[in-house]
Amino acid sequence: MTTPTTTPMATTRVAQDLVLELLVNGEPTRRLVPGHRSLLEFLRDELRLTGTKHGCDVGDCGACTVLVDGEPRLSCITLAADCAGTAVETIEGVAVGGVLDPVQAAFDAHVAAQCGYCTPGFVMTLRHLFADNPDATESELRTALGSNICRCTGYVKILTAARDAQRRIQAAR
Amino acid sequence: MLPFPRFSFEAPDTVAEAVRLSALPRAMLLSGGTDLLPSVKHRLFQPDVLVSTRRLRELRGVREGADGGLTVGAGMRLSELSRDAQVRLRFPALAAATASVATPTIQRMGTLGGNLMLDTRCMYYNQPAGWRAALGGCLKCEGTVCHVAPKGAGCYAAHSADTVPVLHLLGAVACFATTSGDLRIPVAELYGDDGRTWLNSPPGALLVSVDIPDAKAPIAYRKLRQRGAIDYGLVLTAVTREAEGFRAVISAVGPRPIEVSGATAEALVDAALAVVQPLATHQQAVPWRRKMVKVELRRAIGELG
Ligand SMILES: Cc1cc2nc3c(=O)[nH]c(=O)nc-3n(C[C@H](O)[C@H](O)[C@H](O)COP(=O)(O)OP(=O)(O)OC[C@H]3O[C@@H](n4cnc5c(N)ncnc54)[C@H](O)[C@@H]3O)c2cc1C
Ligand code: SF4
Ligand code: FES
Ligand code: FES
Repeated sequence: MTTPTTTPMATTRVAQDLVLELLVNGEPTRRLVPGHRSLLEFLRDELRLTGTKHGCDVGDCGACTVLVDGEPRLSCITLAADCAGTAVETIEGVAVGGVLDPVQAAFDAHVAAQCGYCTPGFVMTLRHLFADNPDATESELRTALGSNICRCTGYVKILTAARDAQRRIQAAR
Repeated sequence: MLPFPRFSFEAPDTVAEAVRLSALPRAMLLSGGTDLLPSVKHRLFQPDVLVSTRRLRELRGVREGADGGLTVGAGMRLSELSRDAQVRLRFPALAAATASVATPTIQRMGTLGGNLMLDTRCMYYNQPAGWRAALGGCLKCEGTVCHVAPKGAGCYAAHSADTVPVLHLLGAVACFATTSGDLRIPVAELYGDDGRTWLNSPPGALLVSVDIPDAKAPIAYRKLRQRGAIDYGLVLTAVTREAEGFRAVISAVGPRPIEVSGATAEALVDAALAVVQPLATHQQAVPWRRKMVKVELRRAIGELG
């Protein structure tokens, strides 16, 4: 990312746009963004990737979870500008060639969504968990799911889907 | 929708440049953003420029420190510390404290530095701007009265950082860079008695690392919280047993973590109840939280074995 060459705008209060370069679902992406643009707004409003959901907006719910360089990030409280040079993965990047990944397939098989608003966030959290710790124990699985809130399902179906996804991933090894 | 106000963004790659930028009027440092950015959305702060620490290499890493301890970079994510082999081996209570923050995702975003510099919290303060406006704000932000203690002149917003009680007991030292040179402040002396001016480090100072001396005795850390995830603590308790008796640091009950000591477990509990007075900064009833100070202390002593 290139920053403005002038001294910072602290005295003028006029925020200048920055050139942001990053990979989004493998696509090289270059855009002008203001410093105060959240990653969530950048993805949804500028790139029209509306699969990432806008929930609480302040870091409580996990609906906006994406992966940045493989690490989970709450995109509502992440600045787009702070992601310069990273690789961002959103729910749109998960299925390859129309084939669902094991986490998505398990959510589908167990109908682990009602309204579905929380689902992209849960899928991203679990993708990270199984990439990081494929042999996560039941307690590690439950702890990881604590990052996301669902207001519909009561979590039982989500847990069932998560366990099934883990089995699918282990079987494919 | 809680849009950000307009601000500009800088991501310097040297400590000197970061310190120069953060000393500008209305500049604020940004690490994981998990404390600062929700507060900016709530208009608790209206910065002109946010200075990201993400590119500062000096803030990274866990190194051997002087006299058998560790020096931990302020930019280390909480999840990196709870998984670090040296931290787990030498300071298991610190690893447990980092693993008790918020959620696993937030632990992967939030840093140790941001945790030490965490704003004090209160149910009348950590609210959207419109919510606060309905009450006319409070002493910590926009208003002229404290809704927790309306007759008082101070703010009692609670220190809520999970790593701090353990770092305090360990005798850790916070190492800052400022425009006028480096500064070392023991964690035990970093915080003050008013929730508005709770930090004793100068404005704009950049926390670079935390020096943790070798642990002399095991520490038990307990966090009383409403749910097993997401929530801030209602009472935070760290206890250790030394040659002269017990020493404890109790937090989330006021702007500053409180240290107490006692020759026996009973003396420690009595000493704590004499000085710790939770106030109505949280929704949970004050008499219950006060009782829980005693219960949590006894449980923590029990965990020491
Ligand atoms: C839903 C939710 C729940 C949470 N629950 C908890 C909890 O249970 N316990 C807890 O302790 N925390 C909790 N937090 C707060 C936060 O996640 C952690 O305290 C985290 O460690 C803050 O670090 P950060 O890097 O994100 O800080 P930031 O938000 O980036 O910064 C916090 C403050 O520190 C300043 N700062 C940041 N880095 C530096 C530096 N290097 N030098 C000087 N100043 C600096 C910033 O200017 C800001 O004022 C929660 C947050 C959320 C959103
Ligand atoms: S303790 Fe009082 S002044 Fe401080 S944040 Fe709460 S209501 Fe406001
Ligand atoms: S929308 Fe980001 S955590 Fe709720
Ligand atoms: S399915 Fe509706 S919030 Fe989870």
